[in-house]
Amino acid sequence: MYLFKNAFKSITRNKLRNILLGIIILVIAVSSCVALSIRQAAVLSREDAAQNMTITAQITFDRQKAMEEMGGPQDGQETGTDGKPDRSRFDFDVLQGSSLTLDEYLSYTKAQQDGDSYYYSGAFSLDATGDLLPYGTEEEDSSSGQQSASGIQNFSSASGADGPEMPGQAAQGRIGETGGDMPGGMGGHRFQVNQGDFSITGYSSYQAMTDLFRAGGSYSITDGELFDESSAEYDCIISSELALYNGLSTGDTIVLCNPQCEEETYTFTICGIYENENAASQENNRFAINDPANAIYISYPAAEAIVSASEQAGNTTTDQKGEETSAALKNTLAFTYTFSDLSHYEAFSKKVYDLGLDDDYTVSSQDAESFENSMIPLDTLSRTAFWFFVVLLAAGGVILITINILNLRERKYEIGVLTAIGMKKTKVALQFVLELFAVTFTAVIIGGGIGAALSVPVTNTLLENQVESASEEQAKLSENFGMKPDGRGGNGDMGRGENPRMSNGFSGESPAAQYVSSVTAATNGTVILQLAGVGLLLTVISGLAALISIMRYEPLEILSNRT
Amino acid sequence: MSILKLDRVSYRYRSNTPMVLQDVSLQFESGHIYAIVGRSGAGKTTLLSLLSSLTAPTGGTISLNDQNIAKIDRYKFRSQYVGVIFQNFNLLPHLTAVENVVLSMNISGKKFDRKEKEVALSLLEKVGLSKEEANRRVLQLSGGQQQRVAIARALSYDPDMILADEPTGNLDLETQKEIMNIFKMLAKEGKCVIIVTHSPDVAKNADFTYELKAAASSKS
Repeated sequence: MYLFKNAFKSITRNKLRNILLGIIILVIAVSSCVALSIRQAAVLSREDAAQNMTITAQITFDRQKAMEEMGGPQDGQETGTDGKPDRSRFDFDVLQGSSLTLDEYLSYTKAQQDGDSYYYSGAFSLDATGDLLPYGTEEEDSSSGQQSASGIQNFSSASGADGPEMPGQAAQGRIGETGGDMPGGMGGHRFQVNQGDFSITGYSSYQAMTDLFRAGGSYSITDGELFDESSAEYDCIISSELALYNGLSTGDTIVLCNPQCEEETYTFTICGIYENENAASQENNRFAINDPANAIYISYPAAEAIVSASEQAGNTTTDQKGEETSAALKNTLAFTYTFSDLSHYEAFSKKVYDLGLDDDYTVSSQDAESFENSMIPLDTLSRTAFWFFVVLLAAGGVILITINILNLRERKYEIGVLTAIGMKKTKVALQFVLELFAVTFTAVIIGGGIGAALSVPVTNTLLENQVESASEEQAKLSENFGMKPDGRGGNGDMGRGENPRMSNGFSGESPAAQYVSSVTAATNGTVILQLAGVGLLLTVISGLAALISIMRYEPLEILSNRT
Repeated sequence: MSILKLDRVSYRYRSNTPMVLQDVSLQFESGHIYAIVGRSGAGKTTLLSLLSSLTAPTGGTISLNDQNIAKIDRYKFRSQYVGVIFQNFNLLPHLTAVENVVLSMNISGKKFDRKEKEVALSLLEKVGLSKEEANRRVLQLSGGQQQRVAIARALSYDPDMILADEPTGNLDLETQKEIMNIFKMLAKEGKCVIIVTHSPDVAKNADFTYELKAAASSKS
């Protein structure tokens, strides 16, 4: 007990020195509190966002990896005997026929956890028949020889077949793959594609359509109702533009045909009409199928039934080489896994390989990527805050040790007297540590309070700068790619996906990030504990100097020298 | 019966330095005042340091009640067994006289019937300090008063033996007499008082005088 009394007396006796010490520790405490709060804010923001967001992910074939494996050197410079690139080494059957089957996709749902789910959709295209016209096309003379307004389309695949997803085709895949019945498709070959006027998308569940009909989304049913997701009936919903253009209403039927075999027809009953507010901005005039107004939605069982019926019909077509190939419709499957938590997605990404997924496939998530991108400024700030904290602590530690060593030299006589009259060195050291502890914790408590008050505005100000810096960097990058600062490509054909996260014109580019730009709370119990740890650490560091010095002192020596 | 016994005690500061004390054998009994005299450099203060366990002999043994003090914790020895009065008093200047005494009582860990401060005040009164003086900081006291505080501090835990290094060295004659009277009183109470001094007057007042010569001692 007397140690506490002595310590208190020593503190009050050396007011000026202890005030100086307190101010230094106060500055360290305030700065540490802000730095730790920033780190904590980053952690909390990450946790909150990760817990509250729904992650969707897909398993995709890693075509680049497969091509590298087929083609040897990654630089692609391997040439044939004529000096031209040897394209024969690429096996397109493998490269194109690499989609997983529905059963395979379903088998990997075992890697999901409670609260996770999945959905899928199938897509193909059909042509108009009779008086039905796709929106945006005009009635043509039947003698023109064309199958439909835009039934036969010529593609040049020089830009590759990896274009962005289009409205109404978000789940179907990419141009050049839709329908899956197109020959070629790679390497700049000019090829003819039999593509329908209408994109038909069959959804496995309503959940699968939440991207379209989500709250605040651009799609809404304006007449009739949505089809029964479990029904294989050919019920469909069509766009209001298409309905208006053809004078259709709910209850009417439309007859569509296989683009490669117009005798193969399918009759759909319109159960609902939807309106897409963004249809005009998503419009693509080049092909009818690319116009969102020509997107028709049905249930997945219905889509499956149509594809099955098409296969059973056994129709064939003759390609440019004169070879007879099947004209059956092919369903392009898009399977989406949804996760209630980011950690579930991360676990899934690893576990699917244990369940037998080939290394040629990758698990990717636009949501996860967007999430990581959104955290960039805060993470950067957090890292900076951490190093600032480390430097501050190191510098503070050195200053405190120096002050304490000077303090000890000044109080050497006192140590000599105390040990000479029988006070153990450990007790003397303890008294000194108690003094440090009292000063340190008083300063840490005051500093913590000030730091807590400052942490949110300081964090938000620093974060604002970080966001600004990151945004400028992204804008500059976009400009370097010839895009508008908002991420839209200059080419009207690209970069106008319905998903705002996919607004970059180039496939594979990072999505335009919505950065975390503010925090509401930064200092919490964890920060306070960490701050207490800082106080303890500073006490121990400076107390250690005291302890070592005291242990070295011998009372006889001190008192003799004084004499 | 001797309370303190030195048996062929030798001491040197470092291994390559000459002996300061060599084969010193002395005995001290309770109820007496002993004066240790000698020329400067004879080793008087060194002997006091050995007796108070501030340092350990390089040869021989020092026994307290037949127990080798090397086997007693040196801090415990200094805080419970022996009261030391230093030449320069070695009081803590930021404390009052009574606080200095109370601190020594606290360090000893000894339990008292009354409150420690009351005991300290009565001790200070015993050595001639008023209550008002007892509550002054030691720097506000005269040399003689500080010496009294040092004596009171040495007595605070009621040790059997009092060691004093030049206790009257900085004091006027009148105060010297008063201090010596206190030591006589303590001896009468049964304590063993050992005084290291240059003063012939102090030596005269001692029951026994040991004279230290270069690396030796003689009793008179």
